[in-house]
Amino acid sequence: MALNDAEVGRYARQLILPAWGEEVQERLRGARVRVAGGGLATGPAIYYLAAGGVGTIWVDDPDPVAPGDGAGWAFGPDDAGRPRGVASAAFAAAANGLVKADVFRPGSRPTAVLVCGANMDVSRAIAEEARLLQLPHVVADVDGQGGAATSVPVGAPCYACATRPGLGAAPTPEGAAAVGALAALELLLLLGEIAQEPRARRLEIFRGTPLTRATARQAGCACNAGPPGPSGY
Amino acid sequence: MTGRSPAARLDLRQHVCPVTWVKARIAMGRLPEGAILEVLLREGEPRENVPRSAAEDGHRVLLLEPAPEEGAGTWRAWLERGSAVEDGTWP
Amino acid sequence: MGGSLSDRSALVIGVGGLGGPAALALAAAGVGRLTIVDEDAVETSNLNRQPLFGEADLGRRKAEAAASRISRIHPGVKVDARDARFAPDTAPALVRAADVVVDASDNFATRFLANDSALAARRPLVHGGVLRYSAQFLTVVPGKTGCLRCLFEAPPAEGTVPTCAQAGVVGALAGFAGALMGAEALRLLAGERGAYAGRLVAFDCRSGRTRLVPVRVRAGCPVCSAVAGATQEGA
Repeated sequence: MALNDAEVGRYARQLILPAWGEEVQERLRGARVRVAGGGLATGPAIYYLAAGGVGTIWVDDPDPVAPGDGAGWAFGPDDAGRPRGVASAAFAAAANGLVKADVFRPGSRPTAVLVCGANMDVSRAIAEEARLLQLPHVVADVDGQGGAATSVPVGAPCYACATRPGLGAAPTPEGAAAVGALAALELLLLLGEIAQEPRARRLEIFRGTPLTRATARQAGCACNAGPPGPSGY
Repeated sequence: MTGRSPAARLDLRQHVCPVTWVKARIAMGRLPEGAILEVLLREGEPRENVPRSAAEDGHRVLLLEPAPEEGAGTWRAWLERGSAVEDGTWP
Repeated sequence: MGGSLSDRSALVIGVGGLGGPAALALAAAGVGRLTIVDEDAVETSNLNRQPLFGEADLGRRKAEAAASRISRIHPGVKVDARDARFAPDTAPALVRAADVVVDASDNFATRFLANDSALAARRPLVHGGVLRYSAQFLTVVPGKTGCLRCLFEAPPAEGTVPTCAQAGVVGALAGFAGALMGAEALRLLAGERGAYAGRLVAFDCRSGRTRLVPVRVRAGCPVCSAVAGATQEGA
């Protein structure tokens, strides 16, 4: 379905990008993204998915809002104690009234997942769930003032294969914002079908400098066992 | 240009930047390669911006002229749809 | 620098796609005072990338809307909003009052003014920009590194570089860049050297490639030569 005037006005600045045609914006509008994990990057990630035009955002995050949550983007002092999923969905809707935002309900069928785990074990579990459901997913790991965004298109080497230990530093709000935005960006490029090869990649930010590498399967990983995905991994 | 005529026509005079160019770009995207889009533009920023942006996107500007019969300060441009442009690494 | 972050002050020029995330990063980390300068009003096409504003803010002055959003979320930060252009008559006082300057503006005239003022006042400056799918970062440490005028001998000629109005922006890339600029400002406020000091870091988000360009003091640079004790230090 063609873009209406409200969409053209709101997405104007990205609709003039090379390779970002009307059909890219339509793909984003048709996407249903589950955001899960309860990590600090969730707030900024949700903002950029909504602002970029993802049609439906479901936030899977039942814990109550605590000080510092959302990286200082999504919640204020008056949100303390509210369920984070509810407050995040309200934040997404306020960021972009054209987006349908709600808490994630079991039985919903997302088309992609943005994994923002509070720690890497949580991320690994959610990423594995997404892989088994054959959903493309991007994982945001916050590490000090940086971290990493890992892109896992369908059939690609899994998140567990792609990760390596970082500094193990406590996440900071500025790191969470950088990684959350980056993870949202990676997912927008994948969903818009304008990501360049290699689409399966991990972008690490260390001392403010991004470093990208293609991911590869580790021998013995369960993700090695299946048939090649549509991209021939 | 004898015998050629626009496949579509778009009056962009009521829009402001960047929507003016966005609407033109979307309309171009819907046309087959080689087809012509006629646009009506206000003088000043739109008349400067739209043809230049079209050329940067790989389209050809076949015509750009004042069109006073459409209204004071109106310009007409004929934009010929080029082949898909794939750019986007270093500016 | 001794003392803590809550004793420090940051100047953020522009609170749009880059400045919004940078200001939020500084506020969330607990900077004592944040001065924000922006002369525009919130427009619809801003909303794909400017997290300090929502639909309800359309038409509002950006500086004022930004200040009220930041104050609501981070009541402990003193926010000083200037609804005005960052201009030659006001720049020197604004820069002198800050411990670090973040240039999140979108035009070369402002960028060069920020550069020159930071050098004159010997304040570190974090400069960043996004254009289409790429983001660039440079930190200027007066007396130690090269500056914007060392990199560009003159502002690019009219029409050769598209203005933001003409070139597209991916919201999320601006957010990524703004957050990194905020993180860099925090490093400088903590007395660290700065990840972008003396080198331009340019990142293309589609290819994932990062390129590093050393920025040394250029012998003929009119601004750096006026800074006493300038040494050659670049990456």
